[in-house]
Amino acid sequence: MAYWVTILTECCIFGILALGLNMVWGWSGDFDLAFYGYMALGTYTTMVVTIGKPLPPVEYVLGWQIPFLAAIPVAMVVVVAFAAIIGAIALRNLREIYFAITTLGAISALYLVVQNYTPLFNGFNGLFGLVNPGADLLHLDYHSYRNFLLGFCAAILLVVYLFAQRVSTSPFGRMLRAVRDDERAAAVYGRNIFWAKYRAYLMGASLAGLAGALFAVYLGAFNPSAWAPQEILVLYAAILVGGRGNPRGVVLGVFAVYIGFVELTRYLPTIDSRPEFAPAFRQILIGLLIILMLRFRPQGILPDRPRLDPDGPVRRGGPIVAMLRRRTDPRAVRHGSQAPTPSGDPAFGQATGASPDAPAGTGALRPGTSEAAG
Amino acid sequence: MTAQPLLVISDLHKQFGGVAAVDGASMVVPEGAIVGLIGPNGAGKSSVIDLVSGFTRADRGSVLFDGVELLGRRPDEISRMGLVRTFQSPREWGSLTVMDNVLLGGCRWARESIRRTITSAGRLRREEHADRETVRDILDRFGLTAVKDVPAGRLSGGQKRLLEFARIAAASPRLVILDEPMGGVNPVLGERIGSAILDFAHRGSTVVVVEHNLPFIEHTCGVVVVMDLGAVIAEGPFSSLRQDARVVDAYLGSEDPHV
Repeated sequence: MAYWVTILTECCIFGILALGLNMVWGWSGDFDLAFYGYMALGTYTTMVVTIGKPLPPVEYVLGWQIPFLAAIPVAMVVVVAFAAIIGAIALRNLREIYFAITTLGAISALYLVVQNYTPLFNGFNGLFGLVNPGADLLHLDYHSYRNFLLGFCAAILLVVYLFAQRVSTSPFGRMLRAVRDDERAAAVYGRNIFWAKYRAYLMGASLAGLAGALFAVYLGAFNPSAWAPQEILVLYAAILVGGRGNPRGVVLGVFAVYIGFVELTRYLPTIDSRPEFAPAFRQILIGLLIILMLRFRPQGILPDRPRLDPDGPVRRGGPIVAMLRRRTDPRAVRHGSQAPTPSGDPAFGQATGASPDAPAGTGALRPGTSEAAG
Repeated sequence: MTAQPLLVISDLHKQFGGVAAVDGASMVVPEGAIVGLIGPNGAGKSSVIDLVSGFTRADRGSVLFDGVELLGRRPDEISRMGLVRTFQSPREWGSLTVMDNVLLGGCRWARESIRRTITSAGRLRREEHADRETVRDILDRFGLTAVKDVPAGRLSGGQKRLLEFARIAAASPRLVILDEPMGGVNPVLGERIGSAILDFAHRGSTVVVVEHNLPFIEHTCGVVVVMDLGAVIAEGPFSSLRQDARVVDAYLGSEDPHV
């Protein structure tokens, strides 16, 4: 039982992180390798503002002692500020592999600084001392606190998921995908490419900070061995499996991949003289999974489908509902099918009553009118 | 042809390496006109478009759009001033539906603010609903209604051209610059594109069109600008250009201008 509580809590935290990464990679199309480091920065920040003054020989910055709930926004702000610097450099002109290399450089630099510059976050030995914040207040013992933490993380994941879903289906989400599909065309239609990508990047980074804060409570202690830069690949594997761009798919992918890996590696033989065997094997499996997904189903289990015209034929519910409707309602064959029919949609005949020559209010969409100021 | 000039290009220069792609080009586009821009391959036509629309930085010169200098501005700023261009091949947003492509062409930037995304999703949906009615008309005009829910990446080449025009119709810009809109297009579609261009002018847009299809240019464009070696060598109605020895040498050829 405690075993599942632990795994599911971890899944919720990484679900939040993956939803953030999905904003960057899934929607804006930027392959960011620094993202895991953003979460780590969030974790460190949460630690140093909650665990109080350092006692020698331990050393770290700040050493505040504020409540954990207040530390969450602090962690988010610090991570966003750091991402704002990296993003301002990397997003301006660099794309694809050049962008990826730049972010990899940034995260490697952060990793080395944190590891070697002890006064920052106590170097390789890391930080500890964030023990079940709020447990006394809520009168929770160790086990019930773990259950409570799972519920807390799951609730935050739900809120973040709803937020991501809203952004995904918003004009902003649509614009990000347009920028991803063709930047120059997006610029021709008035979109500031850098600003669009930058906003998505910072939004994603704020979620990384949030995930980092929860990670701090989950682990209680944190040091550089907990966040090697290559850990990011698990997240990419999870997003690929679930469905890049689709928040629902991303959450599904995280749960499938994390639980799948934990379960798989449980049955691995352990070699006493080679303790590094299991982690190495895990890395191999992750690489294999990414290759297989890209080869056989690059769109993932739940692909990011284009948003169909919501004012068109009514098409509520998912694919299963559509299938059932097709079975039961003969009319639904026409309305429920997603493929275009050459005869056109009957619903449109009514909607497009205006004659083609009429001005038809095209001027309403004209650039340079009232909304241009925004 | 005494209309106000909408676009005034003067002494535009751009070097790529040691090659002068644009070498002192100057031209005037009157408001409301359909201007043809012709010239042999490598004359600098597309380079001029890239400079005017902000995709490349000019070495020197000036481009005034309704009296405002365009050089030094970003492509998206220039677009928001009311200038939309196309590229030689259609550039659709492949993963978005045809409907969404045209909606995005409508350029409602204010709707894409994060604050409004979070706080007023319902209102955004109602506003979009109203815009879709307009988009439906446009899709109808370009014969794209049947494919409105199809990801634009799956359209045929001809449909992608039409989608490009539908997007421009949604943007309804003051000036539209078309870079070889008829390249690789069959005659029937060509006719449709030709009438779309006339329609843009009819609805108040000024049009600049780069084309190698000379009968079309002769038919549609009141003013024709001829470029060669990065400079404008002639400007005027098509009929007058046939008498111009430099134009005949550089582009039209002496035998038959319609080949």
